[in-house]
Amino acid sequence: MTLLLEIKENALDDGPGIRTVIFLKGCALSCAWCHNPESLRREAELSWDASACLGCGRCLRVCPDEALLPGRDRVDRDRCSGCFSCLPACPSGALSRVGEETGIDELVARVIRDRPFFQASGGGVTISGGEPTGDLDWLALLVSALRAADVSVLLQTCGTFGLERFEALVHPHLAAIHFDLKIADDAAHRRWCGASNRGIHRNLERLLSLERAGGARVLPRVPLIPGITDTDENLSALARMLTAAGARRVQLMEYNPLWPEKLARVGVAPRVEIERAWMTGAAVARCEQIFADQGLEVVHEG
Amino acid sequence: MSVLTDHLSSSLHHWLRGPRLDIALHGLLRLMALQIGSRPALRKLLRSRDGWLDFGVGLCTETGTVARSIRFTAGRGQVASGAPDDVDVTLRFTDDEALWVMLSSPPQEVMNLILHNRLRPVGSWSTLQLFTYLMTAVLGRHHQRLIARSCEEERRWRGQGGPAAPTTGRSAGLGGTSGRLRATSHEPGVRWLEDPYLSDYGLESFPRLRDFLEQHLTARAEVCAERAACLTDWHRRHGFETTADGTPWDPVERQGLVFAHLMAEKAPVIRRGDLLPGTTTKIPLTGSAVFPDAQGTMIWGELDSIGDRFLIPFDLSPSTRERLHHDIFPYWMTRTFRERVRIAHDDPACLQLGERWVAYFVWKSVGISHTVPDLESVLTKGTGGLNATLRARLADGGDDEARTTWTAMIRCLEGVETYAAHLAAQAAEQARKESCPRRRVELEEMASACLRVPREPAGSLLEAFTSIWIAWLALHNENADTGLSLGRLDQLLQPFFERDMASLQGAEERARYIEKAIELAGCFFLRCADHFPLTPDIANHLFGGASSNQALTLGGVTRAGDDAVNDMTYVLLKVTELLSPRDVNVNARFAPGKNSRSYLERLCEVNVLTAGTPSMHNDAAIFAALRPHGYSEEQLRDWSATGCVEPSISGEHMGHTGSVLMNLVAGLEMALHDGWHPLIAEQVGPRTGRLEDFADFEQVFDAWATQQRHLIAQAVELNELLAQVHAQHRPTPLLSALMRGPAQRGRDVTRGGARVNTSGTSNIGLADVTDSLLAIRQLVFEEGSVGLAELGRAIARDFLEAPELAALIGRRVRRFGSGCPRAVEMANRVARTVHAAWAAHTNSRGGPYTAGFWSMSQHVAYGNLSGALPSGRRAGKAFTPGLTPHPAASKSFLNNLRDVAELDPTSMDNNMAFNVKLVPSARDTCAQTAARMRAYVQTYFEMGGMQIQFNVVTAETLRAAMAHPEDHRGLLVRISGYNAYFVTLSREVQLELIERAEFVL
Repeated sequence: MTLLLEIKENALDDGPGIRTVIFLKGCALSCAWCHNPESLRREAELSWDASACLGCGRCLRVCPDEALLPGRDRVDRDRCSGCFSCLPACPSGALSRVGEETGIDELVARVIRDRPFFQASGGGVTISGGEPTGDLDWLALLVSALRAADVSVLLQTCGTFGLERFEALVHPHLAAIHFDLKIADDAAHRRWCGASNRGIHRNLERLLSLERAGGARVLPRVPLIPGITDTDENLSALARMLTAAGARRVQLMEYNPLWPEKLARVGVAPRVEIERAWMTGAAVARCEQIFADQGLEVVHEG
Repeated sequence: MSVLTDHLSSSLHHWLRGPRLDIALHGLLRLMALQIGSRPALRKLLRSRDGWLDFGVGLCTETGTVARSIRFTAGRGQVASGAPDDVDVTLRFTDDEALWVMLSSPPQEVMNLILHNRLRPVGSWSTLQLFTYLMTAVLGRHHQRLIARSCEEERRWRGQGGPAAPTTGRSAGLGGTSGRLRATSHEPGVRWLEDPYLSDYGLESFPRLRDFLEQHLTARAEVCAERAACLTDWHRRHGFETTADGTPWDPVERQGLVFAHLMAEKAPVIRRGDLLPGTTTKIPLTGSAVFPDAQGTMIWGELDSIGDRFLIPFDLSPSTRERLHHDIFPYWMTRTFRERVRIAHDDPACLQLGERWVAYFVWKSVGISHTVPDLESVLTKGTGGLNATLRARLADGGDDEARTTWTAMIRCLEGVETYAAHLAAQAAEQARKESCPRRRVELEEMASACLRVPREPAGSLLEAFTSIWIAWLALHNENADTGLSLGRLDQLLQPFFERDMASLQGAEERARYIEKAIELAGCFFLRCADHFPLTPDIANHLFGGASSNQALTLGGVTRAGDDAVNDMTYVLLKVTELLSPRDVNVNARFAPGKNSRSYLERLCEVNVLTAGTPSMHNDAAIFAALRPHGYSEEQLRDWSATGCVEPSISGEHMGHTGSVLMNLVAGLEMALHDGWHPLIAEQVGPRTGRLEDFADFEQVFDAWATQQRHLIAQAVELNELLAQVHAQHRPTPLLSALMRGPAQRGRDVTRGGARVNTSGTSNIGLADVTDSLLAIRQLVFEEGSVGLAELGRAIARDFLEAPELAALIGRRVRRFGSGCPRAVEMANRVARTVHAAWAAHTNSRGGPYTAGFWSMSQHVAYGNLSGALPSGRRAGKAFTPGLTPHPAASKSFLNNLRDVAELDPTSMDNNMAFNVKLVPSARDTCAQTAARMRAYVQTYFEMGGMQIQFNVVTAETLRAAMAHPEDHRGLLVRISGYNAYFVTLSREVQLELIERAEFVL
């Protein structure tokens, strides 16, 4: 069962035109800087938004696990059994469930309402995560249903899928793919992202060759994480790898220093201490130059 | 008195209660009488041209603690205890505190007391104004200090820049305005423009327009008494109700004569450097005409302070003040629309309810000319041609009224011709004296144009603009500034543009002509801004920053149903882009399937560049809304926007589309209180049951519908009484001559002469009422999570002790705009109920009432005066503008668009205002921003949406403008239907704009 994390309508940064993004729960990687920690686990979990909490204490009285505490850290994650019986008691919605069970038909019906906007703007649906390829059978049903409904689909992936089945079941239904690359060195990738990158690179090569044969457009994307991915060494290695794989374009995603706030809501502490500032224009330009030097076009819009 | 009030400290304030306050008031009034009696300069104020101003004013509290009166007879004041009922006006204060505020505050606070129903004048409002003026004169310097202090306080408050702006996910900025688009296609109607977007021109290409714009933004409007003085003189000589020998006047005849006289006497003023001759008032830059024959005495109380007030101060010369006070206002004080109704119908309940300011506002108290005259006839036939037709009719017979009407129309048109002849002479005279050869040529061209038009049909674009402008300023000398609208100027002007173009040789000459056409249109736009309505301070709070609202309409389809977009559409759009005009109010029609994507994208680009204009309309939805009225297809295709957004059939439709501004929340508050209105503190409506006794949702809905119908019936009654006054005392023969119908029917437009007759209303608070009803249905009757008594208590205490209930409502209730079909259904049900309630009434001109859902700035004013609502809206907060969904309805703008598009157009035959605040992303280009905006609008229209208007501005910019108005004079914002310069707005309206939901592009 794949759980729905969130549906974001009117998205303008996740592909061309006006788009609706379907975020799915669960990821095979565990990147230290992950901006969406609530997307990592495949199971539903409880979220508590301190800024929305009225402090009325109703939830404390109904929790059967005694997992809710007054004060700053409302949810004792070790005790919470995920029964969600606290939700109806919360008047403000500060407590909420992350991860919604949904059927394919229902999901398609929800996003299809926006189809006129997609058509007027050259947009469509973007499927993102977490990592949306966790259950390829389920994903295949979703993308084929969307395609049947005349909706253009873009997939955002970290590339951890099994290639053969992906190619057979999912790929034919896609209009475009955003393919995320983080670290070129395999050992470093294992350390920071929790898994090897060998399969990821193989998958990218194959998708790029399918693109050249008229398949879905592929845009490799690299998140710039200060001190981790944005080093000259790593970016040069990625750029060489991309060129060798036949890529022509790349998108760089600027570091967002606000992510620790998001982590707190699901009770996750940041694994790394990274800068709390936005990148300067010069810093971004340096990174872009590395890819440009390898003959890659750096694009700003997918 | 000034010494006394100066030293009344706060402890004195607490001590001065009840009987002590009564005695103190007596003392103050005695002092006032004494001062006036002993100081000749003050005593002189009691003398008018007709003799002593004798009148009495009572002051009392509802609690009975205070009751005094002061009576002026032959220049002497006499104070009496008790409040006799034979005074001209009694000021009824709710309590001691309200009286105290009145005694210790500048005059705008008096207006605030009135708005908040803490002071209720009973009797003549003209006398109230006169009394206020006398008080300010007696208080003298002390009064000025009070004003200066309140201005200082206002500046300090604004200096903080208001509350923190809402945060948005994408990084916002106006980087999206860089670069200009070029057109991607040509409409068949675009014959001459190579790049219809005219992207090569900027304001720097037109130094004349740049200078005029700068002057427009920096100069204050000046009060001009020319019109009022001329009118008053004439009526003193010839009488108003009766002629000098006592014969009753035929008002149509009288209006024709006095207007012709006015035009003959009017000074022919040509503004330095302008391409168009003539000014609405005597003031070359921005003048405000006084309409004492309409509502002009409303500013009497502010004659000493209007230059010092914080919001939209006016220049007013001592001689103008003197003239207005001694001569003009005394003559008209019982002859304003409002006072005539009061006197003729013994201060009827419907008038009194209107003067509580929270239920409805009826615009006929100011004017009736909220319509689109037939400027096409002026261009194609000339006033001479129109007159020839009228003379032929006269020769053929007709009944008495018809003959009087035709004669008056002829006199009016001849008056306009006389004025044009004076302009021609003036232009020729100035040309003779002009040393600059280029300017001399312009003046000579102007003179020869004025010799021909508007009498003759126009022969060139210059003559067309000249003709329209002279007719236009003449209409504004007959009719007060209330939304008189220009109609489809691109359609009217295109033939002249084409004719001129065809006569030119070579690309260079044509390029020069296009430049000239842009400049000429720019001069016309800025000429239209040369007059600004003279408003009392209360209007700054009711209709913040509103100008005359001269709507102009572009695009759509021709009468034959073809794409109407032409060269002049794009020329006028270019001028709109260059000037970001407040007034004219640019409205663009879009006909799906007929108008091009390229045109729609240009509309969006102009909106991005100007921040607030044009407003966009979907022809298909407007046609659907109007079709049930039985208009022909040709009529439908020829609609244009009036005032704010309202549709009129161009040139033949007396729709007075801004007749009534109705508060829908007033009906809801009354339904929640068994017919009692909390602010008015009276049983206003029928008893529909106590809140806690309602057994099901239908009873709640019916209670609201019953209360709203009651208010609507009251408003209709007042509207009709005022309409009678217009028809009986102040017909408008010039406007009648410039509409299709009155000539054929031989009836003035105020008497049903136009071909089409309706009365348009606006209904304010649709989203707030809908959300409140949704909350009650869901939480009380479906889920049972809240009891009605509990809800009632929470509302009464403004949710202060019920934050959990407020949070529950905010989280659980699916509002209108959230993408929930049941919410849309409720909005449609409310709108249908309102529409049916109006449609049940017929106006005295034989036409139906129509329902619109736009709000000017009344959503702020009414919101300010309304209590907390079941929707969770706090007391005093603005409603949403027009019918815009609440900001919390959805995070997705698409849900807003979808829900609004699903509203039934047939309930909205007076249009709507759907306001959206969009902010382009910092790194997008103008092309990307305009393309996205176009996609939104196109889809919204395809889904059936009727109207949409954007503010393209960040909350940060608005905050900066609030704190530093001098740096943001030209910042244009769309309120709800009309445009205003942000810096001229009341703080409540500014806050509402800052707090609007902001969607980043």
